[in-house]
Amino acid sequence: MRYTAVDSCLVFLPMVHGKQIITVENLMDADGSLHPVQQALVDTYGSQCGFCTPGIVMTLFALYKSGHTPTRTEIDDALVGNLCRCTGYRPIVDAGLALAVHTDRKDKFSRTEEETIVLLRQIKHESIRYESCNQLYHRPATLHEALVLRRNSLDALVVSGGTDVALRVTKKHELLPEILDLSAIPELKEVVSSSESIVLGAGLSLNDVRPAVRISFAALAEMLDVFGSKQIRNLGTLGGNLGSASPIGDSLPVLMAYGAIVRVMNCDGTRDIPITEFITGYRTTACRPDELITSVILPRPSASVIVRSFKISKRQDLDISTVSAGFAVQLDKKNCVETCILAFGGMAAQTKRAVSVEKFLAGKNWTRDVVEQAASIVKNDFSPITDARAGADFRLIAARNLILKFWISTQQG
Amino acid sequence: MPLKHDSAEKHVTGEAVYIDDIAVQEGLLVGRVVYSPHARARILSCDLEAAKKIAGVHAVLAAKDIPGHNQMGPVVKDEPCLAEVEVTFIGQAVVLIAAETEEQCRQAEKLIRISYEPLEPILDIESAIAKDTLLGPQRTMNRGDATEAMKSAPHVIRGELCTGAQEHWYLETQSCLCVPGEASEMMVYSSTQHPSETQALVAEVLDLRRNDVVVEVRRIGGGFGGKETEGNHTACWAALLAHATGRPVKIRLFRADDMIMTGKRHRYLIRYEAGFDNDGKLEAVKLEFNSDGGAATDLSFAIMERTMLHADNAYYVPNMSIVARVLKTNLPSNGAFRGFGGPQAIAAMETIIDRIARILRKDSADVRFMNFYGIDSRNVTHYGQTVENNPLFMLYERIMQSSDYVKRREAAAAFNVSHEFVKRGIAMTPVKFGISFTTTFLNQAGALVAVYLDGTVLVNHGGIEMGQGLNTKMQSIAALEFGIHPSAVKVNATNTSKVPNTSATAASAGADLNGMAVRNAAIAIKERVAEGVAQLFSEQYPGVPSVKQHIVFVDGRISDAQHPDRTIAFADAMVQMNLRRISLSASGFYSTPNIGWDKIKGWGKPFHYYAFGMAVTEVEVDLLTGHHVIIRTDILHDVGDSLNEPIDLGQIEGGYVQGLGWCTTEEIRWDAKGNLMTHSPDTYKIPGVRDIPMDFRVQLLKEVPNPETIRNSKAVGEPPFMLALSAWLAIKDAVSAVRNHEVEPDFAIPATNELIVMSVEKLRNLCDA
Ligand SMILES: Cc1cc2nc3c(=O)[nH]c(=O)nc-3n(C[C@H](O)[C@H](O)[C@H](O)COP(=O)(O)OP(=O)(O)OC[C@H]3O[C@@H](n4cnc5c(N)ncnc54)[C@H](O)[C@@H]3O)c2cc1C
Repeated sequence: MRYTAVDSCLVFLPMVHGKQIITVENLMDADGSLHPVQQALVDTYGSQCGFCTPGIVMTLFALYKSGHTPTRTEIDDALVGNLCRCTGYRPIVDAGLALAVHTDRKDKFSRTEEETIVLLRQIKHESIRYESCNQLYHRPATLHEALVLRRNSLDALVVSGGTDVALRVTKKHELLPEILDLSAIPELKEVVSSSESIVLGAGLSLNDVRPAVRISFAALAEMLDVFGSKQIRNLGTLGGNLGSASPIGDSLPVLMAYGAIVRVMNCDGTRDIPITEFITGYRTTACRPDELITSVILPRPSASVIVRSFKISKRQDLDISTVSAGFAVQLDKKNCVETCILAFGGMAAQTKRAVSVEKFLAGKNWTRDVVEQAASIVKNDFSPITDARAGADFRLIAARNLILKFWISTQQG
Repeated sequence: MPLKHDSAEKHVTGEAVYIDDIAVQEGLLVGRVVYSPHARARILSCDLEAAKKIAGVHAVLAAKDIPGHNQMGPVVKDEPCLAEVEVTFIGQAVVLIAAETEEQCRQAEKLIRISYEPLEPILDIESAIAKDTLLGPQRTMNRGDATEAMKSAPHVIRGELCTGAQEHWYLETQSCLCVPGEASEMMVYSSTQHPSETQALVAEVLDLRRNDVVVEVRRIGGGFGGKETEGNHTACWAALLAHATGRPVKIRLFRADDMIMTGKRHRYLIRYEAGFDNDGKLEAVKLEFNSDGGAATDLSFAIMERTMLHADNAYYVPNMSIVARVLKTNLPSNGAFRGFGGPQAIAAMETIIDRIARILRKDSADVRFMNFYGIDSRNVTHYGQTVENNPLFMLYERIMQSSDYVKRREAAAAFNVSHEFVKRGIAMTPVKFGISFTTTFLNQAGALVAVYLDGTVLVNHGGIEMGQGLNTKMQSIAALEFGIHPSAVKVNATNTSKVPNTSATAASAGADLNGMAVRNAAIAIKERVAEGVAQLFSEQYPGVPSVKQHIVFVDGRISDAQHPDRTIAFADAMVQMNLRRISLSASGFYSTPNIGWDKIKGWGKPFHYYAFGMAVTEVEVDLLTGHHVIIRTDILHDVGDSLNEPIDLGQIEGGYVQGLGWCTTEEIRWDAKGNLMTHSPDTYKIPGVRDIPMDFRVQLLKEVPNPETIRNSKAVGEPPFMLALSAWLAIKDAVSAVRNHEVEPDFAIPATNELIVMSVEKLRNLCDA
């Protein structure tokens, strides 16, 4: 049994098929006693105006059900997605820490867990199709079915985690006439690891990607650490981040730095597309209307390649990048640059490499002077925009600084 | 044991009721506001006919449909409820729609045709100054002769400081449910901090008498000043629609609409000039405050007044001269926000002190210390009020010690020598904040307390529970007064038919004013009960009679202190009193004593007392990305004898963190046409859990009771907000380390990562030059 906290406003109803939904109103025991999480928040004065409190309760509840005593880091990581305007968070964090006393993690749900599992198992894992007067919703249970649906309904909007698509409903009030929901396809949630590569299913939640890449692809894991919030990462997927092809999609620069390959499929077969070719423009990709992104292949870099990721945003967490970057450099024995990839988000209409900087660096000595010189010509590669998040001049300086920061990080072992 | 927040259990179970949770039996309509897309334009025509024909739409209203006054201005009547001839900001309400569903409202909105003739808007303070768009007369305040003193001062600095707007970002957006009653009655459930004003304005727009309108507020999901006047608008719009349709109407603004339509903390452009001696002691300060009032007056002048009254912060300035202007721009009218003009003033004074320290190569804490108001001399403010019971030196001594300031400053300096791209900074800042509405008559409050025959107590008071724990404090005040267990006391939803003609819950004065009113009501009841119980005892125990002066209310019993055997349980006594026809309810009233000042002369005693606090914050700044982390914050804050320590700590921490937002990540941007670009949590960044200090040590100053206030407490809502300036100046300190503190960095509020990187860039380029 796995309990995850999600943002309910981003979940389409059919997505919860086969799952148990627990809301703040459920937590109290039949005898009226509060759940340990609720009691902890009462005891620490973790609520003031109370309006954000139900969300905070559920975040801490999921943490409580994770089965171990959360550290401060884990508590913070879980709470990043909850905004509170009153408390300054300290008492909320304290409530999280106070849960440590409940070592057995018992609560009303653990007492009935066996029965719940039986009930959940009775719900068949099968394809579902919802039709209302003006909407059609497909939720296939196998990749094959999904591909057939994709071929037959070219106009259906593909949804994976829904964290991008749902905003079209909640914020833009759009009616989505036909949806092809990939969230129930087990084949898209696999991690296949070999000596050459790691293959990440396009439907894996970003939170599940994190541990899978933590050791071999640390720069990706680190980017995911500051990607949205835990609630977002519990829903959002790599496939969705690629599918959006947003210029500020955070996984894209670092995937470029790793030389990732995007695997797409239709009923007839498979194509493997290098990520730089996969992203074709502002929110456009090489994925054809009858194809689905099925996985991302990350070739294992040789030991001499150094990869790093950076994200600059106004707030460090739960924010969209002002500038993001995925950098890779391979140095030869004489400390000269053999290959380098400097991919940026937030600097152009699409995730883009700093080609002239890369060219400048090729073959040159990887020293501070050279890198600073190289970084200073990053302005030749981009003409970023000024928007709600930052000014164009700041973006250029930030991009330059990140290249230097990359160099610094390579000096620290 | 301090009481838990009286709604805590309801908060954590999701049972707490906000406006949107109120169950309406039938007929509920959804209200929607159609607002101006132009910052400034003439309305040429307005065609609502097509919209009215949409199925499910019950009303589409424009200004001409308002039965009463089309006017919302709380002080100056310059704010229409619905724009009629011209629009003056993007987000200004023009048309209202009521329909059965949100969908239908949106459909109808698409069919509304309003034609505008756009005019040139004014969107920033500089242009407003250039065009001299004053919202009202300029104000000045003077002590001594700043011009003369400046001439003879050994050092003089001049500069400019810009402070940014801030969105309240209360979690519950502006909301109101109006339910028409019989005849012309209107029941208004509003998320407002000022129910009496909401009541008055609803009555005015509907052309009703105030005794026909009842406003009730159970709790609000955050206010921070943003519902002191702005709540009125949503209430009046919902009331107009409910009145027109005869059905309940609810308006709950979407976040983006709320952010676009409502006012914010005033932006300021501040010009300063300061003269000081070789030690760093201030000799003269001249300040020019220019605030962006937005399109209408709202509370801008009261806010500017508080700015003028806080230009000194905690420092004695022998010669002071202040000029203050509120400028009109084509943006939503700015209004109250925690601190109410204080933060901008204090930011200016702290900038002056910070610069003095840099110029004299001194520790800024030393410069602060030498300029603090004195105990017996140098203790009169620039407006004539004596700073009494001054704890500044006590706070200073304790916090410098507990925060280990001196050692940590040395450590930070050493760190900075060995780190090129990451710098640390540390700063200590004080706050002295005047408690009272500066508009003296507002310092009044009422309560209505009822005792029932089972011994339970129902408290009504005029204040609003917005998370600050006001009701919890009222509950414990009543319980202590009656000597009963707090569980026997319930605090009712605030209701204008129970306690009329109240002031807003604002100016940090909610507990001070309402607490005294509740206490006075309880005392009135106790007086009567004491007399009745004394009589009862005298009858029960013939011989020496009991007298009312000896009747005490302790531990759930009422007893004769002279005759301990004469005692009766509180509840039993209430039954006896009822049999004796003694009234068990009373209203209480309070008005703050001994305050008053001459606004014209700028002289007198505007404040009942001052609240004080100090903070030491240390930060680490990544110079390449502009990201910072707060390594540690120490706060020592003076709340007198706390009414509830955990609740007061919550106000201090929450205020500080909200202040951090204003000082760092909360940046509001408008485009060249006056559109708010940062109108969602996507682009507007309030602090999150990882933005708070990694090590956060907050303490209350103990054993310094405040004379003449409810249970010797002090107000706590606003003052801690300004302690966040220590984080702002710590960041500046880190940035200025780039040039070994020899050059004044470019700085402003908020110090976003962008501002930090650009400021570092400038310093670096100076280095190279
Ligand atoms: C609060 C919040 C915070 C966020 N923070 C970040 C952040 O920090 N960084 C960031 O990069 N993004 C962020 N996002 C955006 C979003 O979460 C990510 O882009 C996420 O990766 C999208 O994944 P998804 O599975 O939810 O996509 P969906 O919304 O399901 O789909 C996104 C797009 O991809 C297409 N698509 C999805 N799967 C496939 C597939 N298998 N084949 C073909 N097309 C497909 C869809 O048709 C759609 O166009 C945030 C969003 C929110 C709401």
